Amino acid sequence: MKLIDYEPIVGRSTLEELRLVASKLAGREVQNINSTFVGGGVAEILNRMVPILQELGVDARWNVIKGSPAFFEVTKKFHNALHGRKESISEEDFDLFLEINRKNMAEMDFHGQIMFIHDPQPCALIEKKDLGGKWIWRCHIDVSNPDERVWRFLERYVVQYDATVFSAPAFSRPLPVRQFLISPSIDPLSDKNKDLSTREIDAAMAGMGIPRDKPIITQVSRFDYMKDPVGVIRAFEMVKKSIDSTLVLVGGGATDDPEGERVLAQVKEAANNNPDIHIISGQPRSDIEINALQRASTVILQKSLKEGFALTVSEALWKAKPVVASAVGGIPLQVRHKLTGLLSHGIDGAAYAIRQLLANPDYARWLGDNGKEHVRHNFLITRHVRDYLLLFIALDHSEDVIHL
Amino acid sequence: MSVLIAGLWLRQLVRAWLQKWSKETGWKGFDILRQTTRIPSVIWALTVAAWLAVLVSTIPSDWEGYASKGLWTLFALSLALSLLNMAGRLIELWGEHLKAPEQAAKATWHLARIVIVLITVLTLLEIWGAPITAILLAAGILTLLAMLVMRDVGPDLVAALQMSSSRHFGVGDYIKLKDTGEEGYVTQMNWRNTLVRASSGSVTIVPNRKLAQTTVINYGHPVKKAKEPFRFYSRSHMKELTGLKARNLRELADTLKVVPDSVIYYHTHHFLEEHHYLTPQPANDLSLWVDEALGDEVLAERLASVDTFQFASLQALRERHVSIIEEQLAQAVSLREAAPGDEFHFVKSISVIISAPYQASDIREFVEALRKLSPGSLYFHVFESRLRLGRGLNDFSAWLADSLGEDELAQKIARVDPYTHSLENLRLLLIQLVEKETGEANRL
Repeated sequence: MKLIDYEPIVGRSTLEELRLVASKLAGREVQNINSTFVGGGVAEILNRMVPILQELGVDARWNVIKGSPAFFEVTKKFHNALHGRKESISEEDFDLFLEINRKNMAEMDFHGQIMFIHDPQPCALIEKKDLGGKWIWRCHIDVSNPDERVWRFLERYVVQYDATVFSAPAFSRPLPVRQFLISPSIDPLSDKNKDLSTREIDAAMAGMGIPRDKPIITQVSRFDYMKDPVGVIRAFEMVKKSIDSTLVLVGGGATDDPEGERVLAQVKEAANNNPDIHIISGQPRSDIEINALQRASTVILQKSLKEGFALTVSEALWKAKPVVASAVGGIPLQVRHKLTGLLSHGIDGAAYAIRQLLANPDYARWLGDNGKEHVRHNFLITRHVRDYLLLFIALDHSEDVIHL
Repeated sequence: MSVLIAGLWLRQLVRAWLQKWSKETGWKGFDILRQTTRIPSVIWALTVAAWLAVLVSTIPSDWEGYASKGLWTLFALSLALSLLNMAGRLIELWGEHLKAPEQAAKATWHLARIVIVLITVLTLLEIWGAPITAILLAAGILTLLAMLVMRDVGPDLVAALQMSSSRHFGVGDYIKLKDTGEEGYVTQMNWRNTLVRASSGSVTIVPNRKLAQTTVINYGHPVKKAKEPFRFYSRSHMKELTGLKARNLRELADTLKVVPDSVIYYHTHHFLEEHHYLTPQPANDLSLWVDEALGDEVLAERLASVDTFQFASLQALRERHVSIIEEQLAQAVSLREAAPGDEFHFVKSISVIISAPYQASDIREFVEALRKLSPGSLYFHVFESRLRLGRGLNDFSAWLADSLGEDELAQKIARVDPYTHSLENLRLLLIQLVEKETGEANRL
C-alpha cells in the first residue's frame, strides 16, 4: 500500500500538505517502541504508520520490548488499574516491571533522534534519556480516573519525558510536561474498512445467516458489561414495538474470559430465543465479514457504559451509517449530536434515537453522510500521520505559531 | 540547334508568365520558382537539344547509349538541385506565413530533402540500368520502419501544424485544459510538445496531439503583474492540552481570563476546520459545552451568536465571551455543575506554517492557486492571518490592494464574512468574485 493509494479518498491537497510537513523532517530518526508487533490497536496503527512515515522520508523504525508471560500479566493488571479497576498488585509486580524494562534497556539499540514510547509497558525506558534525543510517551488508554498507586508509580517516569500524547482531553491528567492531543485513526484501505461489492456483502451476510428482510440494527463489541449488550436488547425490544427490525450483536473472540462467558449467558437469556435477535459469538469473524455486516446494517449502535476511544464508531461512520452511541470516552469526539450521529444517555434515549433514524431514512442518510465526511477529515490514518509529524516538529519549538 | 532555340524560347515564356502571376497574386512562391529555375532551365534546354542531336547522329550505338545516359544524368541532377533549392525556400516561406514552430518547419524540410534525394538516386539507377527492385523493396521496408518509429511523432507533428495554422493560441498566452484542469502560460511550442508553466513554477509538457484533442481555453496574453507575488502558505495545526478544566461557569470565566490567546483561538475556531464540510457548522466549543454539559440553552445561544468577524483581536473576542458569561453569573441564583467526565477542557492550538508550492504573480495565477489550495492553506490566509496573527485583514485583500491595485475587489473580499460559509463554499465564492471583477468569467 502506498500513500498515493489514499489520494482518491483524502484528496491531492491533503497528501501534498503531508509531504510538505514531512519535508521538514527528512531523514529524522524516529524509533517507536511498544510491547507487541501483532494484536491490539497500537500494533495495528504502527503497522501502517511506520511504512507511511518511511515513504514520506522520515527514518521511522519500530522495536518491541521482550517480556515474560509474568511481565505481561503485570502490565495487564496495570492496564486495568489505570482504567480505574481494582487490581491486586504487589511490590514484586512493580519490581518485575522495572526488571524487564531495565533488561530491555541493556539489550535494545536506542538510536532514534525521537524516541516514541507507546503505552505503559515500556514506559520506564526513559531511564535511558541520557542517550539523547527527544522522548515522547504516547498513552493510548484513559488515565483520567486511575488506581492512584499504579499511576504514582508510572508518573515518576512519565514526567521525565519531553512530551506526552493522549487520545482525548478527558483521558489526560495534570502533568508538568507538555501534553498533546492526538486522536487515533482508522485505515480506510484495510479489510475492516475498504469498500466492498454488493456480492461480497451478500456472501458475508449469507455466511453469517443473517436475514435481510427487515432493517438491521447492529452493535459490534465484545461481550463485556461495559458495552451494555443487555441494554442494547432492551432498547431493541422498545423499538420493535413500533418498527419491525432485526438486531445483530457481534462479539469477537473465543469466550475463555470467565466474565465474557457470564455476560454472553445473560445476553442469551435476555434475548429469550427471539428469532429477530442474532447473537454471533464463538469463532472470531474476519474483518471482511464485520465490514460487510456494518455495510448491510441500517443503524449501528455503540451503547457502551464506559469506553476508550471506541474506534468502532469511526468504522461505522466511515461506512456512512447512522450511529447511535453513548456519550462516553472518545465517542463525543466522533459523534457530534444531531450532526454526525445521535448521542444517547440511557436505554430509553437509545431506543428513541433508533426509532427516529428508522422512521426518517432521509435524516438517517444525512447523518451518515456527515459522519463519513467527519471521519474523512478527522479520523483517517492520513490525519494521524500528519499529527505525528507536527508533534515531532513541535518538540523543537515552544511557541504557539511555528513558522518554518 | 532549332530544338535548343525552341527550348530557350519556351524558358523565356514560362519565366514571363511566372513574373506576371507573381505581380497579379502577390504570392512570393512564383518568384522563388523563377529564381530557382533560372540556370537549371538553361541546362535542361541544352541537355534535351544535345540528346536529340545524339539520337539523329551516326555515332556507334554503344557511344550513343553512353551519351544519352550521361545527358539524362545531367538533367536529373540539375533538376534535383533545383527542386532542393525550391523546396527549401518554399517551406521557409510557408513557415513564415503560418508562424509555424521552427522545429516543425525544419522537420518538414528534412522530410522533403530525403524524398527528393531518394527519387533522384532511384532515377539515376534506372537510367544506368541498375536492378532497382531490391532497392525499392529495401526502401519500402525502411519507409515502413520509419513510419513505425514516427507513429508517435506523426500525430504530434500534424497537431503542431494544425495549431500553428489555426493560431488559436501561442507562446505567452495563458491557457487552461478543460479535461485535466491544468493551466498556465505557454512557454514553448515545438513539433512534439507544448510547454505550460503553472503558478507553482512547475512546467507541464503536453503532447501536441493531446492538446489538439482537448478543449483549450485561451485567456490571452499576460495580465498586469503584481509588484510582489503572493506567496501561499500551508498551515497545519495540532492540539496541546493545557491540563486546565472548568466544571461550572465561574471556573469557565476565570480560566478564560488567564489562558493564552491560542486557547481562545482554538475554542472559537477549531470547529470551523473540523467541520468545514458542514452547512451550517456547529457552534463554538464554549456554546456547545454550556448547552450540553450545563443545559443552559439561553447562554449557549448568546455565546453562539458572538459575531467573531467583527473582532479585530483575540483579546477583544475573549473579553466579549467572558462578559457574556459574567452577565449570566450575575443573574444566576445557583451554579450548575457539569457531571464528572463532562468538564470543559482547555486546549491550545499550535499552528505550523510552511511555505506552500504556489505563488501568484497575477490575477490568473491567483485564481488557479485558489482552486488547488488545501483547506488548511485557505483557512490560514482568510481566518488565521486576520485574527490570530493580528493583521486585521485577510491576506488576499491585502495583496490585491497593495500589489495589484485592485482596491475594489480587495474590499469586496474583505467584506465577505468567512464565518458564515463552509470552507469549500468560501473558496467558490472567492473564485467567483475574482473572476467577475476581472472579467475572466466572460472569457470562459
